[in-house]
Amino acid sequence: MDTPGKPAYRRISWTQAFQTEWLRTLIWLGIGLVLLALIPKTGSAAPSSRDRDADGKRHWAFKPPVHPPLPALANASWPKSAIDHFILARMESKGLVPVRDAAKQPLLRRLYFDLIGLPPKPSAIDNFVNDASPNALEKVVDRLLASPRFGERWGRHWLDVARYAESSGKEFNFTYPHAWPYRRYVIEAFNQDKPYDRFIREQLAGDLLPSRSREERDEQRLATGFLAIGEKRHNANQKTFRMDMVDDQITTTSKAFLGLTVGCARCHDHKFDPIPTEDYYSLAGIFLSTKTLYGTSKKKYSDHPSGLVPYGPDAEKLHKAYQAYKKRLKKTETKLEEAEKKLKDLKSKQKESSESKTKDGEGGSPTDKKVAAAKAKVKRLKGKVAEIKEGKPAAPRYAMGAKEADKAVQAHVAIGGNPSKQGKQVPRGFLSAIDVKDAPEIDPKASGRLALANWIANRDNPLTARVIVNRVWHHLFGRGLVESVDNFGALGKRPSHPKLLDYLAVRFMENDWSIKELIRSIVLSRTYRLSTHYDRQNGRIDPENSLYWRMSPRRLEVEPLRDAILSASGALNLRRPSGSPVTKLGQKLARKFPYKKMNPANHHRTVYLPVVRHYLPHMLQEFDFPSSSLVIGDRAETTVPAQALFLLNSDFILEQSKKMAKRLFKSEAKGKTRRIVLAYRLTLSRSPSIEEVTEAASYLSQSQKGLRSRYPEKERRRLLAWAGLCQALFASAEFRYLIEPPRQSHPPREALSRLNQEIDHGKPPR
Amino acid sequence: MESPHVKLITTRREFLKSALCGFGYLAFASLATEAAAAQRNPLAPSAPHFRPRAKRVIFLFMRGGPSQMDTFDFKPQLNKDNGKTVNKDDELLGSPWPFHRYGESGLWVSDLFPHVAGHVDDLCVIRSMQTDSSAHPQAVPLIHTGDFQFTRPSIGSWVLYGLGSENDDLPGFITINPSRVFGGPANYGSAFLPAAYQGTRIGWEGKSLKNARIRNVSNDRFPADVQADQLDLIQSMNEGLLSEHHADPKIEGVIDSFELGSRMQDVAPRVMDLSKESKKTLELYGIGEDTTDNFGRQCLLARRFAEAGVRFIELGHGSWDHHREIKDGHERTCAETDKPIAGLLTDLKRRGLLEDTLVIWGGEFGRKPELQYGSGRGHNADGFTFWMAGGGVKGGQAYGVTDEYGSKVVENPVHLHDLHATILHLLGLNHKELTYRYGGRDFRLTDVHGRVVNEIIG
Repeated sequence: MDTPGKPAYRRISWTQAFQTEWLRTLIWLGIGLVLLALIPKTGSAAPSSRDRDADGKRHWAFKPPVHPPLPALANASWPKSAIDHFILARMESKGLVPVRDAAKQPLLRRLYFDLIGLPPKPSAIDNFVNDASPNALEKVVDRLLASPRFGERWGRHWLDVARYAESSGKEFNFTYPHAWPYRRYVIEAFNQDKPYDRFIREQLAGDLLPSRSREERDEQRLATGFLAIGEKRHNANQKTFRMDMVDDQITTTSKAFLGLTVGCARCHDHKFDPIPTEDYYSLAGIFLSTKTLYGTSKKKYSDHPSGLVPYGPDAEKLHKAYQAYKKRLKKTETKLEEAEKKLKDLKSKQKESSESKTKDGEGGSPTDKKVAAAKAKVKRLKGKVAEIKEGKPAAPRYAMGAKEADKAVQAHVAIGGNPSKQGKQVPRGFLSAIDVKDAPEIDPKASGRLALANWIANRDNPLTARVIVNRVWHHLFGRGLVESVDNFGALGKRPSHPKLLDYLAVRFMENDWSIKELIRSIVLSRTYRLSTHYDRQNGRIDPENSLYWRMSPRRLEVEPLRDAILSASGALNLRRPSGSPVTKLGQKLARKFPYKKMNPANHHRTVYLPVVRHYLPHMLQEFDFPSSSLVIGDRAETTVPAQALFLLNSDFILEQSKKMAKRLFKSEAKGKTRRIVLAYRLTLSRSPSIEEVTEAASYLSQSQKGLRSRYPEKERRRLLAWAGLCQALFASAEFRYLIEPPRQSHPPREALSRLNQEIDHGKPPR
Repeated sequence: MESPHVKLITTRREFLKSALCGFGYLAFASLATEAAAAQRNPLAPSAPHFRPRAKRVIFLFMRGGPSQMDTFDFKPQLNKDNGKTVNKDDELLGSPWPFHRYGESGLWVSDLFPHVAGHVDDLCVIRSMQTDSSAHPQAVPLIHTGDFQFTRPSIGSWVLYGLGSENDDLPGFITINPSRVFGGPANYGSAFLPAAYQGTRIGWEGKSLKNARIRNVSNDRFPADVQADQLDLIQSMNEGLLSEHHADPKIEGVIDSFELGSRMQDVAPRVMDLSKESKKTLELYGIGEDTTDNFGRQCLLARRFAEAGVRFIELGHGSWDHHREIKDGHERTCAETDKPIAGLLTDLKRRGLLEDTLVIWGGEFGRKPELQYGSGRGHNADGFTFWMAGGGVKGGQAYGVTDEYGSKVVENPVHLHDLHATILHLLGLNHKELTYRYGGRDFRLTDVHGRVVNEIIG
């Protein structure tokens, strides 16, 4: 669909625009038409499969990355790192000149949000601005990388890709109370800087890896939650249920780690990539030989019960005892139910006979004795149930995950994707298009998951490292070097900087697949440090900024946005919660829970909010949280009125802005001006200009007047007026984007104190 | 009703609207620079593929499956063979309700819909609908998204994505009293389409609509003038930022969103406020009568939203799933909806809105001619009835034929993918061209299916 773009030059006159751009467009249009007429008509049919496979193997992404030499530069003094060499070389070839470096404050804000997803505290800003040492930046970066907040930020990026959610989705949507340990595993993995190849192995086959301790063993098993948390239709028939689950596992594994869409090959050979149907069923065999542990019990709409992964100290022993307890309890409860039913029957019989008794005057029916006996039995059983319950053993902790199935199987090709139309049987294996030297062999008795994991987490796999370094780059610049971050196939975009991509991939593997090292090297590059300022000259040559002549302004995703609000209001609870609100709900239909029950008041970081498919917390719904039914490495970014309304009227924002106002009053900042300065520092990580202080002050007095009709108490009016100011800051574009503020001079000390006098001591501001 | 467009501001959007068809469009297209394409207001109106017959849709979704042979698909043979044993041990159930011919077209309608019957000359009754599943959990997402296997965008989201919104003051896709079951919100979700295209929910099925409202359109803290000052402050900060960042489309997007949001704040409660409607109008929809009050409100709201330019409006009503006691059940569901729907059609027509508003009535499937559990009917995916009115369809005609009992389609089948293709067609969209690329593949509402049913277009 072609939709007209909105004109970007808001402030230039139309005549001006028409004179220049309009004419240019006409010329281009003419050239375009001529060219179109000259191009011979080509068939639109998909290439034949032989051509496709031969072409496909030549596709850039299937060739191994090689360490490229540094390109020569005209301006050799600009780069600070190898990354900068590659970036500048492309710029120079197009006549682009990088803009200036970002100022210290916005750079710090950028680093904080990018690395830990939180704004810097005012003291951190001061420290950084006043630190003149040459390694001031390195110190900050290392501190942020070491912060436990890092994993909460970067773990969430991975959870987007892993389609993490706490319910089964689809039509019946059962809550998954034990999904959250996987989330915790991911956060921890990023905090520990777990080598990425190991991270892959653990998620696909953690249960099969050797371990040195109980803790390590648990951790690895939790990782396999990756395979279990996908969407599931728990009431489908057995065959469909299995094949759909396997499909989810294949699709997610191939997209997440390899950037390939293998799912198409379920029904037919991939139309554009060299992925034949047999490859799909080779992978299917691996997952069919795996037992996925998603932990549902048998009930209405849920026909495929499965266990879970018990973990923690003595998990196995506790699990056994707990299972025995549940069995015993159930047995006794069933007996009790039967006894109660019998008693009820007898009682009604007794009533009938007593009615007839009064009629004919006879007494002592045998029913009375039976009732007495039944009563005694009920009493005894009730006592027994209570006794069993009293002896309830501690339950182990549970998580979702996977283990080997009892038997390894080979899958049959399902013709046209229809599981009841069996084609030929294919051995378990990997994708034939990707050559991995000394590819691991699949043990005939094993599922092949470990071999698959080793095949993916392999230095010879041309895709694995490229895909992850590109994901990291995407999060730090708002765009991947390969823009289609989840698709490195023929239909994906080609890399804008192929050499840089290879350089990063090779270095990454050489650095023991360290994500933190990778991030460190990128954020310390000069390219990352560029200002967000626009440059007309460059803009004309490269309007999309695809060659990185500046840092593109980026919007905060919903997590850092909400966290920044909570941080400014002082309400943010940085403690890592154990469990999830969903854990308490048990395994039930999601639709049964009212919103508040699923989303109790929660001031934890946003990554810890419950993610129940189709029933997201309101703020997540409004601000482009990705669909957790799909692998999404590149979130949509839409700006719509519903977001404005959320920021103007939602309970959350009203509550937090009031909290922040209270915080301002409790702080050491005395007087209106100082409080305004603090409000700016808490939200925008900078001091306001004199004009901004004046504007805020006049807003405060204006709104206090306006509030008179509704709020008789002065104190309350004052607080709410300040809350209104805090809310305006939350709503401002500057708060919601990583973008440099309007150019301004720092308010000189004496100007500030003069303002203080004026604003705080009666003299009205201008 | 006061016009929602009292505060017309000449925006770039409107300029664009007027320039869409002309050469101006080309100039604008070239002006779109960095990220402008992605950052433009995703809801700005965009041109259809060809001349549309309908500008908006009101979908009356009768969840559970209304019975066709008891409403719009008259089967005299079924009545004659009432009680006869078929398929070994099934017993046929003749319709408990008499049918009559109505209007100039003489279409048959049962006594369950006496009010709607008055509009038959505007109805195009499709008696040959088919879907892929006779189980609610699959059929409900199918009718909404064209798929049940995977989570896909709702038809309302596709339409909004294709055409944008006609108004700046309200959401473009509104669903009133949707059901929480069988996918619930996924039925108005945008799946892989950007969240801007998701439906805005008002109320839940089975709940009174009286106090339901759109989320976050007002707050109790600030009087209007104080909030207006606050908005000025926000926009002043944003303008300051914009002046520094040469026409950054992202900042412009934020400024626009507040402009639109604040108008939505003004307009949405006014559009939703039924108190200014005349007593006569309220009566027309059955508002105030116990049986029809709730659905009457839904229908009147739909008209008001349609009038205000909302692109896609869905009204939920359920449940029609009468496996038992169909006599009482359908009598109740029809009584609840008949007068309100007729009122809606009358009202749309007299306001000239029916011409370009496509009204669609139907459920996820229909029902079987055989008796079930002694007093009801089972699910039927092989033949059931939908009707459409307005928006370019040929009224007063029946399309497609089911067998003598209404069990299966025997002539001119209309699969739900065909229905979707036809709806898009009436809106000026080619269902094969309305695509969105996700994960390396172009997706469409009709997947690889869909035939435009030209015969029903007027």
